Amino acid sequence: MATDTEVDLTPRLKTDEMLINMGPQHPATHGVLRLILTLDGEIVRHTEPILGHLHRAQEWQGQNRTWFQYQALIDRVDYLSGMFTSWAMARAAEVVDGCEVPERAEYLRVMVSEMNRITSHLLWLGTYLIDLGAMFGFPFYPFREREKLLELFEEIAGQRMMFNYIRIGGVMRNPKDAWLSKLKKFTEEFPDRVDEYEAIVTENPIFLKRTKGIGILRKELGMDYGITGPSIRASGVNIDLRRTKPYSVYPKLKFDVPVNDRDGDTFDRYIFRIREMRQSNEIIKQCLDMLPQGEISGKKQIAGLRVKAGEGFAAVESPRGTLGCYIISNGSDRAYRIKWRNPSFCNLSILPELLKNHPIADVMAIFGSIDVILPDVDR
Amino acid sequence: MSETPAAKPPEEPKGPGLCGQFLKDHGIATNRLPDSCGVETIEIDGAHLEAAMKLLRGSSEIKLDYLVAVSGVDSADTFDSVYQLWSYTNNNELIIKVRVKKTDVVEGQLPLVPSLSRFWSAANWHERETYDLVGIRYYGHPYLRRILNVWDWDGHPLRRDYKQLVDSLNDKAPGSFR
Amino acid sequence: MRNGAEILKLGTLTITWWCIIFGAVWIACYLVGVAIPMLLSSYDSDAARITAETCRALTPILSVLVFIPINAMFMVLFERRGLAIFTVRLGPNRVGPDGYLQTAADAVKLLFKEDITPHGADAFMFTLAPIVFFAPSIFGAMPLLAAVTNYHELFQIVNLPTGIFFILAASSVPVVGIVMGGWASNNKYSLVGGLRSAAQAISYEIPLVLSLVTICLLAGSLDVVEIMKQQAGGILNWNILGGGALRGLDSALALKFSNSAPALQELSAKSFDQVLKTAYSDPAAAALGLVAGQDSMATIASIIAVVVLMACVLIAAGLYMTGACAEINRIPFDLPEAESELVSGYNTEYSGIKFAIFFLAEFTNLFVVASIFVVMFLGGGDCPVPAWLGNMLGGPQMASAINQVLSPLIAIKFVDPPTLFAAIWVILKVYGIVFFAVLVRGTLPRFRIDQLMDFGWKRLIPLSLIVFVLVVFAREFVNVHVGS
Repeated sequence: MATDTEVDLTPRLKTDEMLINMGPQHPATHGVLRLILTLDGEIVRHTEPILGHLHRAQEWQGQNRTWFQYQALIDRVDYLSGMFTSWAMARAAEVVDGCEVPERAEYLRVMVSEMNRITSHLLWLGTYLIDLGAMFGFPFYPFREREKLLELFEEIAGQRMMFNYIRIGGVMRNPKDAWLSKLKKFTEEFPDRVDEYEAIVTENPIFLKRTKGIGILRKELGMDYGITGPSIRASGVNIDLRRTKPYSVYPKLKFDVPVNDRDGDTFDRYIFRIREMRQSNEIIKQCLDMLPQGEISGKKQIAGLRVKAGEGFAAVESPRGTLGCYIISNGSDRAYRIKWRNPSFCNLSILPELLKNHPIADVMAIFGSIDVILPDVDR
Repeated sequence: MSETPAAKPPEEPKGPGLCGQFLKDHGIATNRLPDSCGVETIEIDGAHLEAAMKLLRGSSEIKLDYLVAVSGVDSADTFDSVYQLWSYTNNNELIIKVRVKKTDVVEGQLPLVPSLSRFWSAANWHERETYDLVGIRYYGHPYLRRILNVWDWDGHPLRRDYKQLVDSLNDKAPGSFR
Repeated sequence: MRNGAEILKLGTLTITWWCIIFGAVWIACYLVGVAIPMLLSSYDSDAARITAETCRALTPILSVLVFIPINAMFMVLFERRGLAIFTVRLGPNRVGPDGYLQTAADAVKLLFKEDITPHGADAFMFTLAPIVFFAPSIFGAMPLLAAVTNYHELFQIVNLPTGIFFILAASSVPVVGIVMGGWASNNKYSLVGGLRSAAQAISYEIPLVLSLVTICLLAGSLDVVEIMKQQAGGILNWNILGGGALRGLDSALALKFSNSAPALQELSAKSFDQVLKTAYSDPAAAALGLVAGQDSMATIASIIAVVVLMACVLIAAGLYMTGACAEINRIPFDLPEAESELVSGYNTEYSGIKFAIFFLAEFTNLFVVASIFVVMFLGGGDCPVPAWLGNMLGGPQMASAINQVLSPLIAIKFVDPPTLFAAIWVILKVYGIVFFAVLVRGTLPRFRIDQLMDFGWKRLIPLSLIVFVLVVFAREFVNVHVGS
């Protein structure tokens, strides 16, 4: 192509944009996201995400199942962090209902959900490296530790991923002492494992090349799109509900929220998740030390569970950001309206902006770095 | 299923809250609703929504610059478009409701609410979702298409009067192109 | 060593499969190359003679055709088990005893799968692509056979005076197959994969070829057998350590440690230092240090040249490995089949036997580039232990003992000891390289295509040119293989 300053003597070469359908059956879209990419050569000019391949009408089911039934379903909204979806709804229902949650239950909730945050980030770490092309080596190491945590979950909730552990009013079951000591042992060795991941990834030159300066998320843009979670903290916005709108027993725990001092790129989003894992580990340690004795549920867990009439919105800080639940109850045994505010859904909406003018090879590097779970998007 | 939220015991009418007062100072009339779990809740006329949002978002003292969610509710006699507003920097919270009376909706058409997505990107997908599930048409939206259901889905599932066609999952729904 | 047991299992698996591969190839070659001609030699007719000669001539081809499928099958298994160890897993261990037959089962599965040609694909090209991809790895490897069998008489026929040239030419053909397959699939991902592959192959062939040219320059020959023979005599003579630059050290050490009487006499006549000195004061170096014929200056210049040469050759070896990884599309250069971007790249639409051929060719290519590395840098079938050290460790006794054991087989010409030992060393070295490739695969993420191009054109090619020029000058000051 001749530039403006040159005289164009040759007939102009006609170039067309190419449409590529990435997904829904694509190995790297983490489920069934479909991206319609408009490519200019290998450069992405426009992206249109098509959602809904995993739509399971969770909100409709919330209106048509009793509270007790629905509790068991919502772990599936975000299958990697089921504790948080349970907790968001439990909190919303508790806020509307006005029931008290025993302190032991709150500590247990914090503990299991921080464990869940670690498992979620570990899985993200593994799959993200797969997105970057490390197909065989590293991705299995995080799964080693995740497996240990899943075993602990299995022991306490009877399930490895769909826990249904956090219930409206409290938690389901009291952990045994053996479980607590196993967890303690895990928290002691976990920082070393994170060091191992960092040793193999953080200074890997190819990893740095693939992530540094790629997919820069400007702070203002992120706030405009309502991005939350580690993705926006890596871009310098201090929003962590555990600190900014404290809930449960978080005010009593000592931890600080890492916030970046510049617009974050893909690498920053990686490193902030790593830091968050270490921080969660510290929180679990503190909870183990501070765990009080007492009741674990402030509400009777029966099939006819009812929530008082009213409406309310409550949110928790999930591994992906603000996970909110807006409940309108009319006092019957099922909700009048349940609206989920899913972090993945909101974070995904920025993808077209981030992908603009990046080569197609970066699509997965960027998409992976905002940590989207498709069931959480499609509900 | 069809019963409406039970009527709350009547509360004494309160004066406008922080944000309500702020909007009143700027000449936008609001109607304060009962607080939902301690969060100020106001009703606002659809025509003033965009101006109010711009004021709330831009002002330095209120600074409600975080649009958490846009929800649609099919209430007893209104369609509500509910906006949860938070702030990235302070602790203000606000719930805004825009209500469209069902009697005002023309038969066969959708209730109309102005779209925010022209100046607030966060609203874009939430409005699409609400349009898809509850059937509130956000006018001025740049790309108002179904987002969670397939593009040729009939009806809006979260409406109280929604009846799923028996065959709609079997590609035999009348009007389906598949 | 938590997974010591697994490593042990991998070891036994490897040895078992080596025996299978060796046995199959050896027996096939023996039958066609030796046994049938021996039987036919009792008939005194032209037809018999022609048949016998044909059989002998076909032996190399037969050996390759027997070797490649079995070997590729084992390599897949080796890679999977190796990766499993790196990634704290167990790997395939169900089919057959401890998973020994996993890839055999996979092969059978692939053969019986439906062979699909996608709608809108160019059927002829689509079928031709795997063949074009696979064929060069068969005929391209031929000249190497002569080198790795220690120039056995049956394999002399495949040697070429311009062997390495032929090998490189052949190894650049498969990319045509990839482009063909990508284009014919009627799939955008395949097309992008194919085009990427072409771009990548063109970029990375240059450093690859330049590094090999450096070695050819050092050896003064394009003949792989010649290059291999020059490196005979232990690790200090191998090209990776300067292509004979350490030969002086080697001979000095040999004198120092040899027990034979004449050598001792020679040692007493010339001291150790003197041997070193004569080895490292090349006339050219002497000319450089000619400031009034100072010997020490000549030695210093010569030693500097030796160090430079060794560094250059090491870099060339690294360049070769990098270029070869890119050439055969392995991580971190597996852009053409980047799973997270292009689904599976050029072979997305392939299934059944065609996919199997792609798969087979990929692993065969890995084996071939590893063999080239072994022949060019690691002395081919040469024992890494220098003769003088081997003598001290009782090497000759061991060799004669082995010969004793094998004597019945040697008598019927089933075993030719030099060929056997060469082949064993080659296999060991090649699998060492393959293991390295597996380790790399287990560690690194993948480049982005533009970074790959940057890396190729802006880093590797200048570096390979610098190495080439440095070697040109450095070898003037050192007694390398040539001219000795």
